[in-house]
Amino acid sequence: MARQSRREFLKKTALTGGALALAPLASATAQAAAPADMCIARFKEVDTNSPEAVKNMAIKLTEQAIANIGGMARFVKKGDVVWVKPNIAWNRTPELAANTNPDVVATLVRLCLEAGAKTVKVGDNPCHKANESYAASGIEAAAKAAGAEVVYLDKTRFKEIPINGKRIEKWLVYPEIAEADFVLNVPVVKHHQLCKVTLCMKNYLGVVGEPRGQWHQDMETCLCDITAFMKPTMSVLDAVRIMTANGPTGGDLANVAFKNTIAAGTDVVALEAFGAELLGHNPAEVRIVTTGQAAGLGKIDYRALALKEVEVS
Amino acid sequence: MNPKRRAGFVVWARRSVQAGVFIFFLGLFWLAQARPDGGASPLIRFFFNINPLAGGITWLTTHALIVPMLLGLVTVATALVFGRAFCGWVCPLGTVHAAATWFSKRRAARRPGADNWTGWQRSKYYLLIGLAAMALFGLHWTGVFDPFSVLYRSFTAGVYPGVQYAAEDAATSVYFSDPHAGPVHLTSLTEPAYKFLKRSVYARDRQVFNGAVLILVLFAGIVLLNLYRKRFWCRYACPLGALLGMCSLRPIMRLASVEGRCNDCGKCATRCPAAADPDKPNGWRPTECYTCFNCVAACNRGAIDFKFKSPLPAPSSARLDLGKRAMLSAGVAGLGGLVLFRLTPRAQAKIYNPALIRPPGSRPEREFLERCLKCGLCMKACPTNGLQPTGLQAGLEGIWTPVLVPQVGYCDYACNLCGQVCPTEAIQPLPIEEKKNAKIGLAVFDRGRCLPWAYDRECMICEEHCPTSPKAIFCIPAQLTTRDGTTITIKQPRVDPEKCIGCGICENVCVFRDQPAIRITSANESRNTKNQAILGGVSGWKQIESAPTEPPAPASDPYAGN
Repeated sequence: MARQSRREFLKKTALTGGALALAPLASATAQAAAPADMCIARFKEVDTNSPEAVKNMAIKLTEQAIANIGGMARFVKKGDVVWVKPNIAWNRTPELAANTNPDVVATLVRLCLEAGAKTVKVGDNPCHKANESYAASGIEAAAKAAGAEVVYLDKTRFKEIPINGKRIEKWLVYPEIAEADFVLNVPVVKHHQLCKVTLCMKNYLGVVGEPRGQWHQDMETCLCDITAFMKPTMSVLDAVRIMTANGPTGGDLANVAFKNTIAAGTDVVALEAFGAELLGHNPAEVRIVTTGQAAGLGKIDYRALALKEVEVS
Repeated sequence: MNPKRRAGFVVWARRSVQAGVFIFFLGLFWLAQARPDGGASPLIRFFFNINPLAGGITWLTTHALIVPMLLGLVTVATALVFGRAFCGWVCPLGTVHAAATWFSKRRAARRPGADNWTGWQRSKYYLLIGLAAMALFGLHWTGVFDPFSVLYRSFTAGVYPGVQYAAEDAATSVYFSDPHAGPVHLTSLTEPAYKFLKRSVYARDRQVFNGAVLILVLFAGIVLLNLYRKRFWCRYACPLGALLGMCSLRPIMRLASVEGRCNDCGKCATRCPAAADPDKPNGWRPTECYTCFNCVAACNRGAIDFKFKSPLPAPSSARLDLGKRAMLSAGVAGLGGLVLFRLTPRAQAKIYNPALIRPPGSRPEREFLERCLKCGLCMKACPTNGLQPTGLQAGLEGIWTPVLVPQVGYCDYACNLCGQVCPTEAIQPLPIEEKKNAKIGLAVFDRGRCLPWAYDRECMICEEHCPTSPKAIFCIPAQLTTRDGTTITIKQPRVDPEKCIGCGICENVCVFRDQPAIRITSANESRNTKNQAILGGVSGWKQIESAPTEPPAPASDPYAGN
């Protein structure tokens, strides 16, 4: 580190001192607003045949969901490096709901930058090839336009990192994601044959390297391990469109339903439970959700949280 | 300006054109990927469209006209006017040989007359005749010798992956060893360069190909032969050069000598890369000459220069005398090769190779081989690296043709690039919706390996990736008793042969990396009505309406009433 001049040192000390003095005040303001821990934002009426209307809905829902849990500034500090982790697994277009809605991703990128993030990176370790998935999902174009750095995960740059979970001792993790100040997990709600649902926890499969397919042999435990490792502070669930069948690839508009909903919250298990309900399951019967609660990652009963449900129009 | 000085400028102009065309050729590797709209640039086929050898031979094998390949007639027209200027000025493989010759410092022969024409230079014409004879009977082996196919194939399979591998692995080892002096890390230099190259120059994950060593060794061989004779390949072997030579019997632009100037120093011939004998009065060989202007630029006395002259009456120059017997022998040799190639049960379609999974849209095997140039465009374009050159899976006749090797890369459901880039429509350009229904094979489970079948463990990763809707892989829960006596329920996967298109992503993602527990074979491929195992595989399985079941008759004594 370069040596500081005395003047710089005095200036920094004064600033730090000032900030420390003001800190109690800031937390007092936050407490007065008392943001919710989870928000479910639903859209009132929308013409789902109009791409413009759907885009507008996705943006507004995202903004409202984040605003009602305290705004992005609650999670992103000035100068943070943020990694937005959507589901970009498949070479499929947005209408098929196989990947996260690109407008939701773009809005989150914008909110992070507005909250003072230094860099916002967007990336996933896709199942199909990244070139194709990033382009087809519309996420690359939308995120770039919103000011994000779109990162192609490099197979040769994964590093073995201790996970210290029940099943997973250590695994190849993408270091840029692990080192980010804040990882914003934003999956799309989808059906899954093996796990019934694929939501926040399963979306973390996109931060680890091969042979991640082995995790299918005990998916619940492995997902709890990686979720505990990632320590999510906030996640966003994209249910603008959801995939109701033939998941997680879908491929037919008949497998897609509009739910016009975005949920954001600090409790990842609560979001899982809510997502499972959207897919018509009783969360108590979905093993990923129950295992998550048993592992102490959160609460299934999301209604018992400081929950805010808003209607957006 | 005297002819020597002017020719000096022409030589530099030629070198610039050669360099420009070669850079354009390298650009084609970058173009071999989908644009954001999913289409491929039609430019990628440029060199094959202007190639009269590929176009002509494909016309002989198929009797079908491929319209963009008519551009080859332009190349023929240049030969009628300028002789083999195409070889000297345009052909990128010719440029490689010219560069190798220049690099080897064998630009000039050691003494006058040491590097003049020999009868062996006729061999390329005999090769062309043999290939044409084969083509008449539908055997398209031209791609093995066609210069553009040789170059594109060698660069795709060998040169390009080699360069990328070396550069990327060097950067990766720097990244992990992280050499630094104090706060200065070497990675701050290598990583941006690495990322730039990866995203903007290679623009694709590194590809590797089966049999790359053979392709590369052969390529290195023909380059090294320049050490023995200048532009060895172009002189002795190139069938495109032979075709253009046949069109250059009487070019309008000719090498002419100026009366009384020549002092027989022979310098022109020492600089000639083609052994076209510019030093022999009336003995210049237009069928060999690349119109490179080296000889004119070498002559100190202005004794020779290229001049436009009427082809009628026949000007004096050496004739191309191939000999009837030799031509006949070449044709017979070609036909003999054809018969040899096809003396196998597979070539005669008695049996089918389960591993020969052709890309979607491929024509039936015989028609496919009548067209495939073995150029490697489809393999370069394939985003998953799944398309690989064959070794002998399709016989010697089909060497280096594309085959899908699912364990290396699957066929992307939403991609039809291979059909878009194929210059001869051996792989037809199917619209994407049609391509999604084109079956290229069928998945089969190895129940002795598959985790839920053999090892009582959950898996279903193949089902997860199956791209069709509804999925071709489905599961049925089964109750099993484990070693310790507990009963568990496990979902066991199966394949619906009607839904499966053989894309191979299941085989690609299977947890078994040595021999996947689900594999694709060529059975059920749409293009072959004979290679079908499933009733209704071609026409579709018709649901037969079962007759309404009648309520069972009340039990009665059959002998009642007796």
